[in-house]
Amino acid sequence: MAEAVSHTVETAPEKLMTQRSQRIQEIIAGYAFMAPAIIILTVFLVLPMVAALFFSLTDWNGITPLFDRQGTVNTQAFEMVGLENYERLLLREGSRQEAFFTSLKNTVYFVLGVVPVQTILALVLAVIVNQRWLKGKGFFRTAFYFPSISSSVVISLIFMFLFASNGIINQGIKALFPGYQNVTWLNDATGVIHALLGGLGITRDTVGEWARTEVLSIRLWDWISGPSVTMLMIMILNTWTTIGTMMVIYLAALQNIPGQVYEAAYVDGATTGQIFRKITVPLLRPTTFFVITLGLIGTFQVFDQIYVISSGGPADTTLTIAYLVYRSGFDDSRMGLATATAMVLFVIIFVFTMIQRRIVGGEKAD
Amino acid sequence: MRNVRLIVLMVGLFALLGAGLASAQTTTIQLAGWSSSDAENAALEAMVAAFEEANPDIDVELIFAPEYETFMQTGFASGDYPNVFYVDSFRLQDWASAGVLEPYGDQITNPDDLYASLRDIFTYDGQLYCAPKDFSTLALVYNTDLFEAAGVAVPTNWEELRAAAEALTTEDVAGLTTGIELPRFLPFLYEAGGSILSEDGTEVVLDSDATITAVDYFVSLYTDGVAKSPADLGAGWAGEAFGQGKAAMTIEGNWIIQYLIDQFPDTNWAVSELPVGSEGPATMAFTVCYGVAAAANNDNLEASVRLADFLTGPEGAMMVGESGFGPMPARASAAETWLSSRGEEFAPFVAGGDYSYAWSFPPGFGTFIDTFNNGLNEAVKGNVDVQELVQDSAEAAQEALDELM
Repeated sequence: MAEAVSHTVETAPEKLMTQRSQRIQEIIAGYAFMAPAIIILTVFLVLPMVAALFFSLTDWNGITPLFDRQGTVNTQAFEMVGLENYERLLLREGSRQEAFFTSLKNTVYFVLGVVPVQTILALVLAVIVNQRWLKGKGFFRTAFYFPSISSSVVISLIFMFLFASNGIINQGIKALFPGYQNVTWLNDATGVIHALLGGLGITRDTVGEWARTEVLSIRLWDWISGPSVTMLMIMILNTWTTIGTMMVIYLAALQNIPGQVYEAAYVDGATTGQIFRKITVPLLRPTTFFVITLGLIGTFQVFDQIYVISSGGPADTTLTIAYLVYRSGFDDSRMGLATATAMVLFVIIFVFTMIQRRIVGGEKAD
Repeated sequence: MRNVRLIVLMVGLFALLGAGLASAQTTTIQLAGWSSSDAENAALEAMVAAFEEANPDIDVELIFAPEYETFMQTGFASGDYPNVFYVDSFRLQDWASAGVLEPYGDQITNPDDLYASLRDIFTYDGQLYCAPKDFSTLALVYNTDLFEAAGVAVPTNWEELRAAAEALTTEDVAGLTTGIELPRFLPFLYEAGGSILSEDGTEVVLDSDATITAVDYFVSLYTDGVAKSPADLGAGWAGEAFGQGKAAMTIEGNWIIQYLIDQFPDTNWAVSELPVGSEGPATMAFTVCYGVAAAANNDNLEASVRLADFLTGPEGAMMVGESGFGPMPARASAAETWLSSRGEEFAPFVAGGDYSYAWSFPPGFGTFIDTFNNGLNEAVKGNVDVQELVQDSAEAAQEALDELM
C-alpha cells in the first residue's frame, strides 16, 4: 500500500507531464481538423458580418474604391455617421423609412402566408408517402422533391410563362369559369385583403378617415393590404419549391418513430386520427421546430424569385427586406444604408427564431 | 576563326532576339461592357481588332460581363477594375461623383462633332468625363396596316395622338402600348414645358402645372382604355406586344428595329418623331460612354484614353455607323453612314438627337424613380389621384437632393 502510494507520488509529475502533452497534442489535432471549416467560416461568414456591421455605421456609397492599385486605404471613401442609417430606416419619417416598412410589411405577409402552408403541406405529404399501402412511393417522393432540387431561377421563369396574362393558368381558369376576367398575375399591385374587402363594398373611401392616418410613413389602410396578387403568385411558387425539402425532413423523422408506439396505440384502441394528433404530431415536435426555423429564415430572406420575376414591383408590393438591401446597395449606391438594413433583418430573424423556439419548445430537440 | 564567327553569330542572334522581345513587350488593358447582341459584340470585337492593329504596343482584353453593374461595383469597391468600361448615362453622375472615372474630355478628338446633348449628358461638375459610344432615342413606332385600315394619319401632336389611339382601339387591339414608367413618360413632361430639376440642378421643380398637364394626359390614355401596358397585353415589353399586332402604336427606341425585323418579319410598320406638345418636341436619349478608370486605379492611363478615343473618335463612329445595328453613332458626321446602312426611313430616331433629354439623374435618385413609377402605375388604375402622385414624387426628389447637399 505504502509502496504503491510512494510510487504514485514519485511518478505523478511525470505522468501529468505526459498527460498534458497528450492533451495539447489532442487540442492541436482537433483544431487542425477543424481548421478548414474555421478558416472558411471566418473568411466567408465572420469577416463579411463584421464588415457589414462596420459599414452600417458609415455613409459609404459602395462605389468609391476602398483601396488604390498599390493597396493603400482610401480614407476619403466614407465617413462614420454613427447610427444615422438605422435612425433613417426606423425612426425618421421619409422615403427610406417608407421603403423599409413597406418591405417589412411585404415580408411579414410573405412569411405568414408561406411558412404555415409549407409546414402543414410538407407534413401531410410526408405522412402520405410514408404509408405502407401506397404504391409507387419512390415516384411520389421524387416528384414532390423535384422542385426543391431544380434551379430556382429556372422555376421562376417557368412560373412567369404559366402566369402570363394569357398563360396556362388564366386559360385554365377561363375554361372552368367562362366569365373570368384575366388577372395580370405578374403586374397586379392590388392587395388580397383589399380585394376581399372591396368585394364586400369596403374601400379606402368608405372606411373613414382613420385609414388615411400614416403610421411609420405608411397609411393604415395600406398596412392591412395583405400580399398583392403578384406577391401571392410568388408565395405559391416559393411554397411549391420548398415543400419537397421539408417533406424529406419530416419523412426521415417519421421513419425514426418506433413502430411499437403505434402498435401500443392500436392495442389501446386509438383511431387513425387520434394516432396522428396524439402520437405522430407530438413526436415530430423537434422536427417541426427545425422545419419552421428553416422556413422562417428562408422566407425572411427571399430574394432570387423576386429578382427574377418582379424586381420589387408592381408598386413595391413585392419589395422584400432582402431585395431592399440589394436595391439600396446596388441601384441606389447607399451601401451604408443597405448594410444597416441587412443588420436589422438579421435581428428580426434572430428574434423570431427565439420566439418560436419558446413556442414550439425546440430545447427538447437537443 | 570558325569559333569566332560562331560566337559573333550567336551574339548577333541573341541581340536580335532581345530586340524582338523588347519590341514585342505590350501593355494589356481591359475593356469591359455588357453583351447586348451577337451582332453588336462582333462589331465591338472588330473595332478592338482595328485598334490593336493601329497600336501594336497595346493588347486589349475584352470582357463581356453578365450582371454588368454589379460586376463593376464590386470591382470599384475593391479598387481593382477594368481600365476602360461602359458607363450608362443613367450611372454617370453616380460613378463620376464616387471618383472612379478619369475625366478625359480634354483629350477627345474633335469633340464638337459629338452631339451637344450627348456631351451634356456626360458632363458632371463642369467636366466632360467621357466620350459617348453611341445612343438611342425614342420615337413613335406605328403599324402601317392598322393605320391604313382605320384611315388614320400619323399623329404629330398630343390631340392627334389621342384621336389616333381612340380610332385604332378595338376589342383586340390597343391604340397605344408603352411601359408605364418614367422614361416613357418624361418626353411628355418636357413637351409640356415641365422638368424634374431646375436648370442648375439645385432645385426640384416637379410640382408644377406642366407636370399635372403631362401626367393627366398620359394617365387618361390608359384610364380611357386607348392605351394598355405591355403586361396587360400579355407581353414582356412594348416591342413584343406591338410586333404581335396587339397594339397599333408604341413609343420605343431604335433597339426595336432589329427586334421587329428578326421576330416579326410579317408586321408592317414605320417610324415617326414623337408627337409634339404645347412647348415643343422632346425625346429621351439613352446613351453609353467609354469611361476610363481613375488615375489612382489605372496603371495604363495613357493607353486607356487612347483606346477610348479610338472607339469614340471619327473612325470608331464611322464603324458604328457602318455596322448599322441598333444604336446610332454619337457623331453627327457619321449619322448619314448609319442611315444608309440601316435605312433612310429611320431618320426620326436620328432627328431626336437634336432635341433629346438625358436619361440621367444625380446619385440616390433611385427612390424618386421608384416613387414616381409606383404612383404612375397606381394612377393609371385610378387608385391615386394625379395631384397626390406629383406631390409624393416631388417630395421624394427633394429628399434625394437634400441627401446630396
